[in-house]
Amino acid sequence: MSTTPPMLDVRHLVKQFPKRGGMFGKREVFTAVDDVSFQVNRGTTLALVGESGSGKSTVGMMLLGLLETTSGDVLYEGRPVIGLRGPERLALRRKLQVVFQDPFASLNARMTVAELVMEGMRVHKMYANDAERRARAQELLGQVGMPAHALDRYPHEFSGGQRQRIAIARALSVEPEFLVLDEPTSALDVSVQSQVLNLLRRLQRERGLTYLFVTHNLAVVDYLADEVCVMEKGKIIERGMVEDVFDHPQHVTTQRLLAAVPKVEM
Amino acid sequence: MPAVLEIDKLRIGWTDSAGEHVIVDGVSMSIQAGEILGIVGESGSGKTLSMLAVLGLLPAPLTVLGGSIHISGAPVTPATAPGMRGKRAAMVFQDPMTSLNPVFTVGAQIAEAVTLHQGLKGRAAMDAAVDALRKVQVPDPERRAKQYPHELSGGMRQRVMIEMALACKSEVLLADEPTTALDVTVQAQILQLLRQLQQETGMAIAFITHDLAVVAELCDRVVVMYGGKVFESTDVNTLFAQPGHPYTQALLESLPDRAIPGQPLVSIPGQPPTSGQRGSGCPFKSRCRVAINACDAPLPLVQLGTIDKPQLVACHRVSEVA
Repeated sequence: MSTTPPMLDVRHLVKQFPKRGGMFGKREVFTAVDDVSFQVNRGTTLALVGESGSGKSTVGMMLLGLLETTSGDVLYEGRPVIGLRGPERLALRRKLQVVFQDPFASLNARMTVAELVMEGMRVHKMYANDAERRARAQELLGQVGMPAHALDRYPHEFSGGQRQRIAIARALSVEPEFLVLDEPTSALDVSVQSQVLNLLRRLQRERGLTYLFVTHNLAVVDYLADEVCVMEKGKIIERGMVEDVFDHPQHVTTQRLLAAVPKVEM
Repeated sequence: MPAVLEIDKLRIGWTDSAGEHVIVDGVSMSIQAGEILGIVGESGSGKTLSMLAVLGLLPAPLTVLGGSIHISGAPVTPATAPGMRGKRAAMVFQDPMTSLNPVFTVGAQIAEAVTLHQGLKGRAAMDAAVDALRKVQVPDPERRAKQYPHELSGGMRQRVMIEMALACKSEVLLADEPTTALDVTVQAQILQLLRQLQQETGMAIAFITHDLAVVAELCDRVVVMYGGKVFESTDVNTLFAQPGHPYTQALLESLPDRAIPGQPLVSIPGQPPTSGQRGSGCPFKSRCRVAINACDAPLPLVQLGTIDKPQLVACHRVSEVA
């Protein structure tokens, strides 16, 4: 038995939203995330899968501090992260980064690629000056397979797959330990999806990154994740190692999800 | 019997002082009654533009520069297209929320189509709309007909769009990524519905998608497009068993289903070309593993397969790879 705590320990996480139009002004709530607990170990990938509305993205948003929790705890390396303020919060935000689904919406169109990749380094006061940051940005772009001349261009000059690489370089710029990947390949063309998946896997191996992979695409889960949690109506209904869950799904919803995935018989 | 939809050497683009700028270059395909044709391609491959041309809905400044389109033998031209749209060819788009009018009820919008194409009015049209919703398996159709598009789920909105196309009794349904925005389980329901309706009505369906697995489940024949050209055209079994074009082969190999545990996915290097980067030769040349200098010449069309199961491949190197 290992005694090291999990990298991320999510305990009894709950998120409720107020519902409109209760009778006589009665406050009704919609429970989007209902008592969710899971752990992610360092250097591994946990996939959260489910249909739209299952609460998987809401969980990701709460971990990143982009959405307040109603109750529950999130421990990062054994220390609580909810309610952190000031420098402690900033320090955590450096370690936890996110790559969103739509690289057309998540990159500011008015910033050059260099500015986009350097922004986080400036916020976190990394490196002595902009010249060093720029050199680092160029290095990062090289690592994600982007040409050096990309630095002084704008996001609209790039294709979807290239933009997703820029978004990944931006997330990596602050030397994170943990990445939330929210449908990172869903908006990409088929021939480019596999490039980005390979990149994510290589970066994990090289840097020991830990991933929380939020997706509805089960075909990709099999390739990228070690463990999987299946969500429905805010609850985790099944969890386990990917090969166990995929080969022997226990819950009827998991069986239904797996059966619905179109397959190429070859 | 003529094909329901026949597209022959279609060229789409725009003209300015510098000459013609071709985006869709010599696309040919046909669909018989009762057939589902899959049109596979990445964004920018020209698959959607080709279908918009069938409806006469190309966005300016794009026009049809050459070639021809026929629906059941009748030519589609700028003059005839408005009269055929809805009646003979209907389209279902990817995002049903943007195709439905948010300020009218669902029932009123189907009733409008029924009034236009079947001549029913008032109460009779509304009753027909409710029947129509029942036919596409929308639960509680009377209540749903009185609701606005935002009150329906994505899957239900897509059913409404399919129903509006059916209400017009079109001969050919052009479905442009109709399930891409939906959950997998809802996608499975919509595919099932399309298959069932197609068997009942015998309509021809062109199903545009970038998802090869959906093609494998739904389609009879497939056209693979890339960079504004048709690369391969064959029946669905041949496509997956013996893909003829190096692009199709690479695409199939890069599917995550095909991953070998512990190995990186096979991936196609580089990016798809933009329309400005295209020359006269093969648009896939810079990414192709078997490309040679001769690939700069205009693409040949090589026929493989048999008479009843032809496989057309547009590639200089087909003898090396097929």
